[in-house]
Amino acid sequence: MNAIVLAVAGSPRHAFGGGLFLLAILVVAALGFGTARLTARRRARSTGPESPWPPAPAAPAAPAAPAAPAASSAPPPATAEIVPTAPPRPRRAVPSPGAGWAVETDGLTKRFGSNVAVDDVRLQVPRGSAFGYLGPNGAGKTTLIRTLLGLTRADAGTMALLGIPVPAERSRALARVGAIVDEPRFHAHLTGRENLRLLAAARGGEAETRIVPSLARVGLTDRANDKVASYSMGMRQRLGVASCLLGDPELLILDEPMNGLDPAGMHEMRGLIASLVDEGRTVMLSSHLLDEVERTCDAVAIVDHGRVIRQGPIDELTRGAGTVAVQVDCAEPGRAKRIVDEAGVAAGTTLTEAGLTVTLPQGSSRELIADLNRRLVGAGISVYGLREIRTSLEDWFLSVTSRLGDPT
Amino acid sequence: MTWALIATKHLELRKRRGLVITAGLLTAGIVVLVLGLRLLFHLFAPASNGPAGSPDIFSSLSNLLAEFGFLVAAAVGAAAGTTDLTDGVFRGLVITGRSRLALYLARIPAGLAVILPVIAVAFTVLCLVTSYAGTPQPTSVSVNGVSIPPSFDQAELQGWIRQHPQQAANAFPSGPAGPASSSGPSPVPSGAAVSQPITVLYAEYTADEIAGSNPAVNEMVKIGLWLELEVAVGFLAGLGLGSLTGQRTLTIIVLIGLEIIVTPILAAHVIPHFLDGQRLAVGIALDQLRPAALGAAGPAGGGPGGPGRVLFGGRGALDIPLMPTWAMISVIVGWMVGWSLIGAWRMMTRDA
Repeated sequence: MNAIVLAVAGSPRHAFGGGLFLLAILVVAALGFGTARLTARRRARSTGPESPWPPAPAAPAAPAAPAAPAASSAPPPATAEIVPTAPPRPRRAVPSPGAGWAVETDGLTKRFGSNVAVDDVRLQVPRGSAFGYLGPNGAGKTTLIRTLLGLTRADAGTMALLGIPVPAERSRALARVGAIVDEPRFHAHLTGRENLRLLAAARGGEAETRIVPSLARVGLTDRANDKVASYSMGMRQRLGVASCLLGDPELLILDEPMNGLDPAGMHEMRGLIASLVDEGRTVMLSSHLLDEVERTCDAVAIVDHGRVIRQGPIDELTRGAGTVAVQVDCAEPGRAKRIVDEAGVAAGTTLTEAGLTVTLPQGSSRELIADLNRRLVGAGISVYGLREIRTSLEDWFLSVTSRLGDPT
Repeated sequence: MTWALIATKHLELRKRRGLVITAGLLTAGIVVLVLGLRLLFHLFAPASNGPAGSPDIFSSLSNLLAEFGFLVAAAVGAAAGTTDLTDGVFRGLVITGRSRLALYLARIPAGLAVILPVIAVAFTVLCLVTSYAGTPQPTSVSVNGVSIPPSFDQAELQGWIRQHPQQAANAFPSGPAGPASSSGPSPVPSGAAVSQPITVLYAEYTADEIAGSNPAVNEMVKIGLWLELEVAVGFLAGLGLGSLTGQRTLTIIVLIGLEIIVTPILAAHVIPHFLDGQRLAVGIALDQLRPAALGAAGPAGGGPGGPGRVLFGGRGALDIPLMPTWAMISVIVGWMVGWSLIGAWRMMTRDA
């Protein structure tokens, strides 16, 4: 035995031979294997469903110039078979700018070599609103968020979070901000609670006391002591939101919060975001899911190729595109169609099973709908209802971005 | 940096079961295994198996702890420096608004609190077995078969040689003079049967004394501190390099290569016009600091006292000329501070 020990360890550093080298290799192999296994497991988990963007182009291209408003473009192709996109909840009135901006940037620019990921962005996110930062993949959404949070440095421009200039007073600003960037990531070998302890320790202050309520808020109390490795993607997203809540933030910045969630998970996340906004917090979320933004947010900024093309309350933005059609529920659809056609006030009329669909000319005011009603009633046709079919955010988005018809 | 930050980082590291178990096995595990088997062998067959502890075993396992301790500490440091990045948690930590420097600094006590106790436990076990289940302390020092009273200092040895010229001649047979001491040759008084400088004779005497004796408690303390220093240097180098590269496996491979390939080469051969460069390797400085009680089994073992003696009584086990004490300390401190600064800088400037 003594001989064995001496053979392995009996000589000082410079006399070490193959045995030590072999053992050292074993150390590397053991540690490397553990890392690789974890990485593979993490990758497997993080591969969640993602909606393709843009949708398959089935329509002629819209004007490429971003400055061209919807009113000057052809009617969005989808509106011929318009499916109303009513939000599941009433949209909140966007607070007036007098309340201050939760996020404000001016001339913000971030380059990666010759690629301009964020291009001269002027963004204003109203406080107390749910704000969508909407754009296709690769539009620079995440880069903007990373820049805002000081995760990477801006090349030009100014920024302020909750009125606090960043990066000058970054720590003070971030103390009141919760954020998820890309996807929520945690130490897989720790439990949800331990991960939150780690982040609470970094935040300091009373964050530690908010761990339990945060877990309860996102419905993870029962799984708090399970390792994150066993969490589903949806649970990780919820844990991410819980981590955001540790600082009792006034502003939450969520990057693609619906990524990887199943419909039930999306529903839960929408409810969570709505409740956070109802508490007076500002939620800024980035997404490439038009429908989700329309369902969740009150205001939106559309970004494309790093530039903000439009921003404002969703209602205002889509109203700018105009009402595109009216569904007329009446007693004699055929006669009603003839009357409307003869009047020459509509861009087109279509008889459907639901009645008569009247396509309005671009830029028509709502007075035209009242005029239609008067004409039909005046002709003795019983009108049971007129349903306004407005442009959806998706229609509007496609009309103002360059992506429509983009074969990629 | 707060206690909570350190405690949670420590939690994160010690919960890495694979890392902690590997670290434990390669340090405390080996010590416990070797000594446990020796204890059992001695218990059941004392006639053919000596006591579990012995000077040789103590020296061997201490050197092993130093080597593996450095490597394991480097692995723990690399983990501390990279796992936040590889797990994607770094971004979340930065978003809290906490200073990145504070986040980095918290890793140092957190990681050291993982690895230092492991080495301390392993070494304590070794000391206990050596002290309570080891060979009895010899009552004399055998130099070339001649018994000389133990615990002599240089003057006492010189006096003994003067009084016992014949025995001294047998113990220290005449031959070419050994390496000169820093203070120059100090010939043995006339009439002595030996012709070598007293420093050389004393070095040979102490080498034989150490080889045949279990280290005293104060020597064990010195060795323990030296081991912990070696481990701390390994950890800080791993942490700094890991933070710099962001890659754990690469960091471990580089430090293993440094420790078991590059440093031994640099320690064994003088490269013309590059001696000062060789001395920048922290392993060489740490070797020079190696406590005397560990013995030096290398070719330079038993050589004259080197600068390391100033602190821990180390005589060095190097085949290259020793560096001044200030240079040795500078190299060690430089590695600890330098890697910490590099790691902190990278963490503060890294895109999250």
